[in-house]
Amino acid sequence: MAVIEVSELRYRYPNTEKLALDHISFSVEKGELVGIVGSNLSGKSTLCAAMVGLVPHFYKGAFGGSVTVSGMNVREHSVGEVSRKVGLVFQNPFTQITGAKLTVYEEVAFGLEHAGVPREEMPRRIDRALSTLGLADLAERSPFAVSGGQMQRLAIASVLAMEPEILVLDEPTSQLDPAGTSEVFRAILTLRSEGITVLIAEHKVERLAEVADRMLAIEKGRVVAFDAPARLFNRADLAEHGIAIPSVVSVCRSLGVSKEDGSLPLSVSDAAKLLESAHA
Amino acid sequence: MPEISVRDLMFHYTEGVPVLRGISIDFSPGATAIVGQNGAGKSTFVRLLKGLLKPKSGSVTVNSIETADVTVATLSRTVGLVFQNPADQLFKSRVADEVMFGPQNLGYTSDEAQDLARHALERLGLGGVAHENPYDLGLAERKLVTVAGILAMGTEVVILDEPTIAQDVEGTRRLGKVVEDLTGEGKMVITITHDMDFVTRYFDRVVVMQQGVVHADGSAREVFAAHDILEKAGLEPPQVTRLGQALGMDQTILTTEEFVKTYQRKGR
Amino acid sequence: MRLSLYVEGDGWVHRLDPLTKVIIAVSAIALTFILTNLVANGAILFVSLALLTAAGALRRALPVFAGALLLALTFFIIQGLVYPGNRTVAVAAGPVALYREGLLVGLHLALRLYNILSATLIIVLVTHPTHLVEALVRRGLSPRFGYVLMAVLQIIPTMADQTKAIMDAQRSRGMETEGKLWTRIKAFIPLMGPLVTSSLISTEERALALEVRGFGDNARPTFLREEHIPGYGIVLRWIALAALVSGIVMRWGFGWL
Repeated sequence: MAVIEVSELRYRYPNTEKLALDHISFSVEKGELVGIVGSNLSGKSTLCAAMVGLVPHFYKGAFGGSVTVSGMNVREHSVGEVSRKVGLVFQNPFTQITGAKLTVYEEVAFGLEHAGVPREEMPRRIDRALSTLGLADLAERSPFAVSGGQMQRLAIASVLAMEPEILVLDEPTSQLDPAGTSEVFRAILTLRSEGITVLIAEHKVERLAEVADRMLAIEKGRVVAFDAPARLFNRADLAEHGIAIPSVVSVCRSLGVSKEDGSLPLSVSDAAKLLESAHA
Repeated sequence: MPEISVRDLMFHYTEGVPVLRGISIDFSPGATAIVGQNGAGKSTFVRLLKGLLKPKSGSVTVNSIETADVTVATLSRTVGLVFQNPADQLFKSRVADEVMFGPQNLGYTSDEAQDLARHALERLGLGGVAHENPYDLGLAERKLVTVAGILAMGTEVVILDEPTIAQDVEGTRRLGKVVEDLTGEGKMVITITHDMDFVTRYFDRVVVMQQGVVHADGSAREVFAAHDILEKAGLEPPQVTRLGQALGMDQTILTTEEFVKTYQRKGR
Repeated sequence: MRLSLYVEGDGWVHRLDPLTKVIIAVSAIALTFILTNLVANGAILFVSLALLTAAGALRRALPVFAGALLLALTFFIIQGLVYPGNRTVAVAAGPVALYREGLLVGLHLALRLYNILSATLIIVLVTHPTHLVEALVRRGLSPRFGYVLMAVLQIIPTMADQTKAIMDAQRSRGMETEGKLWTRIKAFIPLMGPLVTSSLISTEERALALEVRGFGDNARPTFLREEHIPGYGIVLRWIALAALVSGIVMRWGFGWL
């Protein structure tokens, strides 16, 4: 059952001439983890913004086609309404902290308060969000007194407490160190296992390829490919479209080695097995 | 030939909370990558190299001058630092003016500064946006503008604090080329980064910092073979290196090309 | 780290709810304008200072008082010199004379200045902006307006941090900011551009993050915590209001004070 349905999406920012999104169509099934990859200025962030209605409601500009998420047409609902079903996490952990609350616990409550969630409901939701993201120990800390990785997880927890069906993350690990990045990816896998549909735009193709069900490759606002990573990376034209390729894929391609079904390995262990047997 | 010498460097922001706990290290021309978890003291360290911070004890000497004895602006003729956050270091509303800012402060004439700026922008593939407002560019391009701003100053030492954050394939490649060109010119390049592929491809020397001390200092090959040190520092070698290790290759592999060659040659 | 001018503490003054503190402060300011009697004004100042001391915030307040000293002295001296009702000479030095009536008026103005400052500081130093705004939003203030208010109240430390970062970047690009005073003043002007721009960018990013937390709808929010007004807080509110009313009555009803 498609939980995201994008049809002929076209968008142009105000005072610009080029389309940021140029006739994009795709659909995502419930529970899928979809990675969005592409060079900078390809439209990844704009696409993420369109998933919650920031495009067009916040950014204005010219909008065409349709985006339907959790049964809502994004154009016909306010960002606040869509945000109850679709959560969006941005790149910079620091600016996602509201500054309106003095503890991590209350920070997570912020969105719930403004959504008018009944007070009795709140502790359950907050506790669940904090424990899913491994932040229960930090509940009484100031939101600014935590590391970058923890701050980003806090941003995710704050969005998660709203109990969205879909979670969209726009380059969530770009400002984080390897440990922080691992924490965020672990958290995303936990969420996926709970049935939440996840869309994640990333440059870290190698990590993404290991966890994504499908990957959406875009360039200049257009879809280049939308397929399972194993098949997507088989394409010969990715480099010219500015799409990065995991190292293990690159070496297997250069060596002309592939799995029985023609796909390429995505993890070190798969690649190692394949290459060892290739020489046996 | 630029030389930096650090002796018994200790630093703290607040009394009783040491950030750097005694670092002694030397830098000569060439490319060095400083890696380690957030909080290890890397950014603090490079700020001390740049003179923005002065040692609490110990010394930092750049070309025989102690940083504690000169102003930052004076030291800026020799040491250039690109900060992590572009928003803190963009002063002008046109990219070209922005990149000219540094050279002009150093005393170049307007024409000379313009040339230096143009050249720097081209090296980073930004020739086309010279007349734009830096804030109209995306984050990654803005970061490249800040790199151009330091390049144009022509300093002997160039320090980059996390330049590859948010960069795509093309941006990373351009930055790598800049590193190669600078070392080719006999300059010193020091980079803080989390991108291990970037490290193995463009840097001969890797320094691992953890909790205010240097845990490892050697060639990329040596450091990425030292599993326990990397693990303690919360780091992982690049994917292709791990693949080589998984296949039991003798040599520590640094790039995909190396892997392919080694595999084909030895069959393993 | 994000700080406000707020002084941390846990005493009884801190535990007063924000609105009580606002009521006390507003009453004090209103009274200092209504009452002309010097002793009464002095009493108001005494109460404000006592509250600040009880909250442990007096030390933070001293620089503000010190800064205002020049202005206070100016009132004192100028009124002493040129107040129209001047008659009795208090101090004379050659042709220049300070008159008793004027000096008393000047003292009154100085006391009023200090009263306004102390009362305001009760709010600024002893109430966290987030708590103050939350108290107002509970009573019907638009959440959006409340957020802007809170952000503004926290703006000074934020900008101070930003300024330091920008000055570091300037020095790193060869611009002298250290040394002679004139050099340092010259370095200040180019700061404005980056300071404003980076603030605007952070603001936009923050606004986006808030939008997607459902903030934009401006519906009436619910609250995680119940509001807790200590018993003595209610008492203090009544005392403050009573003082205000008596002040009005005494001044305009009976012509006293």
